[in-house]
Amino acid sequence: MQRTVASSPLAPSVKVKLIHFGFHTAADLLDVQPLQLCKEAGISQDEAVEVLQTLRGDAQSDQQEAASESVTALDLLHQEQIHSGVVTFCSELDAVLGGGVPVGKTTEICGAPGVGKTQLCIQLAVDVQIPLCFGGLGGKAVYIDTEGSFVVQRVVDMAEAAVEHCTLLAEDEEQRKALEEFTKEKILSGIFLIRCHGYVELLAEAYLLPDFLAKHPEVRLVVIDSIAFPFRHDFDDLSQRTRLLNGLAQKLILLATQHSAAIVLTNQMTTKVSDGQSKLIPALGESWGHAATQRLILHWDGPQTMMLPTPCFAVSKGELPTLQTLGRPVLKGTSPVKLLYDLCPMLYLSFTMLTIFS
Amino acid sequence: MDLEQLELSPRVRNALRKACVRSVREVLSVSAPELQHRLALLSLREVKELHAAAAAACRSSPPVTALQLARGECPSLEPGHRLSLACPVLDNLLRGGLPLRGITELAGESAAGKTQFALQLCLSVQYPQEHGGLGSGAVYICTEDSFPIKRLRQLITQQARLRPNVPQALIRSLRFSDNIYIEHTADLEALQACVSQRVPMLLERGLVRLVVVDSVAALFRTEFQADEAIERARHLLAFSSTLHRLSHTHAAPVFCINQVSDVVDGPNPGRCDYGLVDSKVQPALGIAWANQVMVRLMLWRQEGCLRSGGRTSAPRRLEVVFAPHLPRASCLCGVWEEGVRAIPDEDLGEELQTTS
Repeated sequence: MQRTVASSPLAPSVKVKLIHFGFHTAADLLDVQPLQLCKEAGISQDEAVEVLQTLRGDAQSDQQEAASESVTALDLLHQEQIHSGVVTFCSELDAVLGGGVPVGKTTEICGAPGVGKTQLCIQLAVDVQIPLCFGGLGGKAVYIDTEGSFVVQRVVDMAEAAVEHCTLLAEDEEQRKALEEFTKEKILSGIFLIRCHGYVELLAEAYLLPDFLAKHPEVRLVVIDSIAFPFRHDFDDLSQRTRLLNGLAQKLILLATQHSAAIVLTNQMTTKVSDGQSKLIPALGESWGHAATQRLILHWDGPQTMMLPTPCFAVSKGELPTLQTLGRPVLKGTSPVKLLYDLCPMLYLSFTMLTIFS
Repeated sequence: MDLEQLELSPRVRNALRKACVRSVREVLSVSAPELQHRLALLSLREVKELHAAAAAACRSSPPVTALQLARGECPSLEPGHRLSLACPVLDNLLRGGLPLRGITELAGESAAGKTQFALQLCLSVQYPQEHGGLGSGAVYICTEDSFPIKRLRQLITQQARLRPNVPQALIRSLRFSDNIYIEHTADLEALQACVSQRVPMLLERGLVRLVVVDSVAALFRTEFQADEAIERARHLLAFSSTLHRLSHTHAAPVFCINQVSDVVDGPNPGRCDYGLVDSKVQPALGIAWANQVMVRLMLWRQEGCLRSGGRTSAPRRLEVVFAPHLPRASCLCGVWEEGVRAIPDEDLGEELQTTS
């Protein structure tokens, strides 16, 4: 966005003269020398130097940022292949996700209450810490809890199960050595919990996260559970809500790419009535549907019924897999859950999608 | 939160005053370029610093690790204990009891025994922490029938029988009926007024640490017609957000009793059945309410007869439908003179007899 002369922090007399002589935006002043400006606008040399410093400073930093950020698609492909996703240790789930929850992208998990969204999030916060030699990322996790459903007892259960699982998998010397450090306490110390009450605190966290991640560069996963809860309480102005959500989504995507972290958001479901029929759709509105790179919808599936393939952008592997259990470390006794991999519309067709379709 | 409390340079303060931006909420709700446009005299760097200062002031507590929580180093975030239900088998099912923050719901058909659970909790909360209580009273909001005072008196006299592990002297010293505050609310407005004014006052004074709503469905189902679903959802959301806020601020469990509605037309993709596949009933108030509930329990009345020490009771099954820290499990319990008591699985064969 170009800075206009009228809105810049200069003395009013100087501004009037600049505008009178045709300098309206920072772009107009980009290539002008101080002496030239002095003659053309009729201001003193000191004032000219100050004007150029203020307006060019903002414009140049924007240009420099734009220049340094362009990257070729081949580089991007290499980067994505190096940074594998956060595995969940449930082979069907990892298969549907194409190797785990992807790093550098935002993933949204939607589902009815009780289907297992929080469980999946806690599972990911534990699994991101699995050492590299076991196929994990060896990183830490930040868990932002807006509902109060982060119960430490459950995290302890999952941490113990993860250690047990890795102990059974350990084959070679390197893995056994890594296991010595991969203890329950280490896993618990690698999950940072932030509790937010209300949307203002959540927005505040979005401003503070970049600094936190810069201080803790080993963080590879940020979970927000849930993003719907604070935004559905008494929001009279829905357009403001849409604006805030879009701003938040942009900040999160920026965070994901700059810090190579996977961002996972949880959303609720709401009922939509159309043509006399009601169905469950993700909450927060239509425009929020475009915010996340990937969206996972979790449904309840009866214990005996076969899963019907549902129309959606087809994962080219054919029928979607039925999950009988969400893997050992998760709650025993959960009813079978059907995973619908709902890709976002073509607007967000990123390079990863193309590799899945090929 | 007010901007006066932040440490800002005089230039920034002047700009804020001129633009009439007073609260931190306004600052954080606006993006940096737009805020710079409103606060005309500030540079982008100063606006970013303002955002950072406002955000830092908003953060109520710094990030803690799960290890610190597990070790009990942050009692305000993770208190480390729960509200016991006065029966070891039930406490085992709930891994300690009711969580101190969040809404716990108990749904069931009429005469299943939901009010019995609520009364038992009102007495259990008054015990000190080492006996599973919270050392404080309870507020009981009745929306349907009048409060069952006779049953409460009976439960009070039988407390020693229900809790043989607690010293008699302690039980005698507790004045149970003095610490239970009963509110009758006949309509939705009265309910909202109660929950937004009287209950916070009781919580702030430390007089209560348990809020019971019996039942949450009654008023919401009667006051809204079938086609006013959106209106009902809005009121429900306002009500539950008040309860949620009170629960988190005062670390007071909220126990809501819910009714059930019939499942008429088999599996339906437009309706969520929470994994209750074979059930003919599901909790009332739909998905709008279910999204606000942290722990959902259901109580079913069953055929047969439970015998214990020469007395009989109709068996009930208490099932955990969903909770962030509990598996889907259930246990069988009966309602006796001294309260609700569950039967451990190993004793089940002898005690349960079904009528042929």
